[in-house]
Amino acid sequence: MEFITTFLHTVIVYTTVYTLASVGILISGRAGIFNVAGEGIMLAAASAGFLVSFFSGNALLGFLAGALMGGIFGLILAFIHEKFKVNQFILGICLVIFGSGLSDLLYKLIIGVRLSAPMAPDTPAICIPFLSKIPIISGILNQDVIVYFMYAVTALSWWFFYKTKMGLETRAIGENPKAADVVGINVSRRRYLATIIGSALIGVSGAYLTIAITKTYSPDIAAGRGFMAVGIAIFASWKPHRAILGGFIFALIELIAFQLQMISYSIPYQFFLMLPFLSVIILMIIYKKNIEFPASVGNPYSRE
Amino acid sequence: MKDNKLINQILRGLLIYGSAVVLALGVTSIFVACLGYDVSDALSTLLTTSFKSSFGFSETIKKTIPLLFATYAFTIPFMIKFFNIGGWGQMLMGGCVTAAVGLSLASLGLPPVVMVPLLLVVGMLAGGCFALLAGFAKAKYDVNPIISTIMLNFVAYQFVNFIATSSLYKDPLEGHPITRYLPSSATLGFMGGVPVSIFLSLIVIVLVYLMMKKTKLGFEITAVGYNLKASKTYGIDFSKTIMLAFFIGGALAGLGGCLEVLNIHGRLIEGFAKTSGAQYGIFGILTSLVVAGNPLAAPIAAFFMSVLLVGADSLQRTMQIPVEVVFLSQAIIVMFVVIIRKRFGKGGI
Repeated sequence: MEFITTFLHTVIVYTTVYTLASVGILISGRAGIFNVAGEGIMLAAASAGFLVSFFSGNALLGFLAGALMGGIFGLILAFIHEKFKVNQFILGICLVIFGSGLSDLLYKLIIGVRLSAPMAPDTPAICIPFLSKIPIISGILNQDVIVYFMYAVTALSWWFFYKTKMGLETRAIGENPKAADVVGINVSRRRYLATIIGSALIGVSGAYLTIAITKTYSPDIAAGRGFMAVGIAIFASWKPHRAILGGFIFALIELIAFQLQMISYSIPYQFFLMLPFLSVIILMIIYKKNIEFPASVGNPYSRE
Repeated sequence: MKDNKLINQILRGLLIYGSAVVLALGVTSIFVACLGYDVSDALSTLLTTSFKSSFGFSETIKKTIPLLFATYAFTIPFMIKFFNIGGWGQMLMGGCVTAAVGLSLASLGLPPVVMVPLLLVVGMLAGGCFALLAGFAKAKYDVNPIISTIMLNFVAYQFVNFIATSSLYKDPLEGHPITRYLPSSATLGFMGGVPVSIFLSLIVIVLVYLMMKKTKLGFEITAVGYNLKASKTYGIDFSKTIMLAFFIGGALAGLGGCLEVLNIHGRLIEGFAKTSGAQYGIFGILTSLVVAGNPLAAPIAAFFMSVLLVGADSLQRTMQIPVEVVFLSQAIIVMFVVIIRKRFGKGGI
């Protein structure tokens, strides 16, 4: 029981990384912007968030810095796309390269090489008085603030997209921007907003990696999770409630693979470490029938 | 009329590439100045390291070759508007399968005339089949190639680690995952500091050009990229074309990885196919985007890109300017070039 609770606790921590990033991706995707720059945004935010939290001694300020960094990336993506109608995937790839260069550069310039790696301050946790004593449930609820933030963001974005008029309008932009424009929705402004908010969430997810999980910065810390988040958003058919499920599944696969590679002798450990990446492709093939796309995601929209 | 068209085309090319060069230098200078280094020193180091010494020139050629193959790996699927981000993974597969097969065949004592061509084919097949997985997943199951090729990069990375640490191939004297040296009958040498594989690369440049311009396959790839609906009406098999494009792109990347093993290292080293810590695959994508997937311009752009990469190494050594400064400027430049082409070019992406 003890083991299951601890394991579940770790799974939820990694679920937070995947879910925040993929909800961020699907928010902009619903407005028609296919954000493949997740990996670059996570890396840049991981570095910026870590540095701010380290120097201020306040983890929450670090997450804020991560969100800000993500928002700036979102603004760049939305601006270049909306202004010049440049292909979103090309932009995304450039931003991935930009973000991974920026993250190392920031760390090298500000921290440089030190004998002992600097550590991030602790992230505040929330203990719910009665529930956190129950085994298993305490794995889900006895967590730090960002995990609760992730629960809230997922629920809120679901409520926004399916229960509010504005959310319906935003979904309409992703399906048919021309029709949305005809009924008087400002397509361009919504796309800016969705991309900036979505990218800020990806930024929080990146900052969570360094501030809460590893507590130090190392190059290439996102290790492909930003790309997997794009896979999860697709696999979840761009729906928030399915994104949290997808995040949980991939966190589970990652951690089980990690446990197995340590105890297995007959199968070389590298094959377990491949598993999370292969399962993205395999799941997308298996669930091909259930995957839906917003009809115009990835396409530029201009009035003429 | 025709002359006008040609002049227009040349002017447009000059505008795009000229502004790319100016931007490249401008953006890098701004970064260097912001970090408080001497701009003119940094720029001259960046641009002239490749040409000042024979060592610099040989380093530039050594980087140009894998970069060119990485550029082709992105370019060919890009001609039908699909993104092969997996050039790096395909290079890794080409390299590690080559090393494994080469070491396994070492005891047979085959002459170089048999061994080298055999390993080249093995490397190409390994890279091509690996890319074909992504092409197949796209054609049959509509899996986005951006996602699948990136995921396959991570798979390939683990596979290299597996080959380089397996007891069959690992060099017992090395702490790092590195295999034993391939037999001398399998490796290629240097001519005046320049790797012999440069001749092979020149042949590949000609072959790729001929394939794209003179064969039915090249025509079909261009047609599908230009207008998918029309090409379907014309009777071009879309699934076949996309799988072939991925296979060819991957095979060229695999050849690049194979040549890294046969010509540069002589064995498989974990972390090969990288330049100052960054994957060749990424620079291949950037190079390809600068030339908008034009296979003819790719070799020139690859050479210019590796001049910058060698310069970046030298900046870090002599002036302690982090290499990331150059990488960042390259990403920004490519974004600018794409924007400029979209604004002023015809048929921008």
